[in-house]
Amino acid sequence: MEINRRLFTLGLGSAVAWPALGGLTTAAYAQSPVMGGTLRIILSEPVGLVSAVSSQGPIAQISPKIFDGLVEYDLDMNPQPQMATSVEMSDDAQTMTVVLREGLTWHDGEPITSADVAFSAMEVWSQFHPRGRSTYAALTEVETPDELTAIFKFSKPSAFVMNALNASEAQVVPKHIYEGTDILTNPNNLAPVGSGPFKFVEWQQGEYILLEKNENYWKEDEPYLDQIVVLLIADSASRAIAFEAQEVEAAGAIPVSLADARRLEELPFIEIPESGYEAYGNNNFMEVNVRREYLADPKVRQAILHALDREAMIKNVYFEFGKVATGPVPSTISTYYTADVPTYEFDTEKAISLLEEAGFTPDGSGVRLNLTLDPLPYGPIYPTVAASIKQQLAVVGIEVTIRSADAATYYQRVYGEGNDFDLTITGASALTDPTIGVQRFFWSKNIIAGVPFSNASGYADPEMDEILESAAAEPDPAKRIELFHKFQVKAATDLPILPINDMPYFAVKNTRLQNSEVSPYGFGGSFSTAYLAE
Amino acid sequence: MTDAAVTVATETPLRRRKRPRAVFISGIAMLALIALAALTAGLFWPAGPWVAAGEPYTPPMTAPGLPLGTDVLGRDVAAMLAYGARVSMLIGIASTLAAAILGIVIGATAGYARGWVDDALMRFTEVFQTIPSFMFVIVLVVIFTPTIATITLAIAVVSWPPVARLVRAEFLSLSSREFVQSCRLIGMHPARIVFAEILPNCFSSVIVVSSVMVATAVLVEAGLSFLGLGDPNTASWGGMVANGKAVIRSSPYLSIIPGFAIFVLVLCINVVGEGLNDRLNPRMRN
Repeated sequence: MEINRRLFTLGLGSAVAWPALGGLTTAAYAQSPVMGGTLRIILSEPVGLVSAVSSQGPIAQISPKIFDGLVEYDLDMNPQPQMATSVEMSDDAQTMTVVLREGLTWHDGEPITSADVAFSAMEVWSQFHPRGRSTYAALTEVETPDELTAIFKFSKPSAFVMNALNASEAQVVPKHIYEGTDILTNPNNLAPVGSGPFKFVEWQQGEYILLEKNENYWKEDEPYLDQIVVLLIADSASRAIAFEAQEVEAAGAIPVSLADARRLEELPFIEIPESGYEAYGNNNFMEVNVRREYLADPKVRQAILHALDREAMIKNVYFEFGKVATGPVPSTISTYYTADVPTYEFDTEKAISLLEEAGFTPDGSGVRLNLTLDPLPYGPIYPTVAASIKQQLAVVGIEVTIRSADAATYYQRVYGEGNDFDLTITGASALTDPTIGVQRFFWSKNIIAGVPFSNASGYADPEMDEILESAAAEPDPAKRIELFHKFQVKAATDLPILPINDMPYFAVKNTRLQNSEVSPYGFGGSFSTAYLAE
Repeated sequence: MTDAAVTVATETPLRRRKRPRAVFISGIAMLALIALAALTAGLFWPAGPWVAAGEPYTPPMTAPGLPLGTDVLGRDVAAMLAYGARVSMLIGIASTLAAAILGIVIGATAGYARGWVDDALMRFTEVFQTIPSFMFVIVLVVIFTPTIATITLAIAVVSWPPVARLVRAEFLSLSSREFVQSCRLIGMHPARIVFAEILPNCFSSVIVVSSVMVATAVLVEAGLSFLGLGDPNTASWGGMVANGKAVIRSSPYLSIIPGFAIFVLVLCINVVGEGLNDRLNPRMRN
């Protein structure tokens, strides 16, 4: 197997050899895996099964079991060979050469060739994948000099692409099935012919999705499991009961309420893994509409952050999941994270004096400032956090009015024309690379009315734009890291977005299930090495 | 629930037995107590319910000054309950008043005018009656964003049809009675006949129906809050149950206390409503 320096240096910045079998840790081999068995996992009903055309959460969890990615990432975000045996980025970060493994086949027996890769990149990822459209925006063509080699040509440096080559970000789909069809409505999206360790068998809407072992998978002896039954249970209380009754082995992406998670964890047969979600970089934050004149002064934003006891919020509202965030890059993205930024400890005195400095004096009833707060209308946590924020800001004289709304109204208020909001408590995935997952909230060119999860705060700073744009274009990994450190300092100084907490995108699993978190994508991994212990 | 309201008023009286006076009195006493708690909440907890009063998840009767314990954010459950009573009673009474006025106007017009006006108004009423009321409230609240005012209005909009039908029926029977005919004969203005002669005669039935509507409104508000569609800036009993639901296994009191409060309030309103029916419904008088 070829060892490729550029690939590693871009992945982590330190050189380690590819293990003989990618993706497996030594610990995993300490005990021998059990072959066979049926794994039962829980998922919310996905809208399809092909990640190449959608970034929807449930799809990202199931699709990588049916489709291989070009690479898979190990827990330190080092790329490991999957469909590709080597991926090499040129020094100017404008040419990426992918060499496929020999003898790969689709589940229908057709060979997998570089033409499939070229078709997927040009016709699918850069056209239909919500993040792929920006990740692969600079892709001009994919050359296929032979059956196994695909050469990606970019019009500008695109080093971050190396962090988006796995099955949920860059999924190779069969050209012979998609070519010449309407890709978004192709029946293959619902009953896919894939390339991964498990083959699609059937999907009973609202009940289950059945996957079975791909006997022709390229990895010898893998997958270990015979079958995966994906139970489509939406209700979180029913999920908790299924775990308690041991009717299901696992589920990812915060499958039960936080209180239930802490309760289930007490059971001897339940485990909440502490890793296997790093790639999501899940974090919660409060965006501030800096267009409002009363919020334009950074001192007001600093005062708000000083007034919040985020430790107490994590303890009581988040049931001690996650930790206080220092900025927009979560600590789980260890490559780019720095803690060396201005921080704002809980200090109501300081908050009050900052508000005084900014010219906000209390009126007759002690109120300095009236603000609205829109919680993201997904799940019960954001409204509870909003209530907690309202309560805490009242102490320093900021009267908060919480506005609850349905999703459409929320998006219209926060991201729509006119940006009719003061504060919004929300969350997002920073993903594996700040250019892909974080830049969108800070880049002034991403202030686009009507686009959810764009720059809603209206923050526009030429110096910030400069940092972000250089980081996106910088081919040298060390310099990129340096630029992102600079970015985090600036973000924490200007505070258009107030960091709340890094939130683990945790899974709940029965202790019988072994070896399931072998990548930072955790439950969004292939599960080819997962097995059920006796 | 609205159907029950109609049944109360139209049920054959002879088969019914009057409820004991003691039940009626204790219902009123309990309601008065809840109203008192709602009115004096500001005296006992001047800072409002939205302040941390102690460690979060303090169980009831374990900390001094916190007889009902604290919730997930350390708020005093007793304070939340008292301020929540305000919301429940305010929405219950205001929405019922609005619905009663709307119902009386439409019912009286239809019943007195008869003919095509009656037909048109009754078809209009039926449109509202065919839409499941709770669903309709949800739709209205989602469209107009949940605040106390919109919730009150939404509940009023779905609750007036029974009043309108009742008032219309009363008008149909009353307007052919001799005293009304004599008013017509002496050339009294129709408005005066409606407001001074017929309307006072059907007030007792309206009061009986309305009293049960208050209970329905309280339940609807609690249901909305439970679904996260209440006004997020107020303490509400339904909202308290919803917040407590997440921790029902570890801190059941957070759901049980406000749930019991809703139960008691609705029960009392019903008891008082039935008692009023016994006393005001002319067909029930001995």
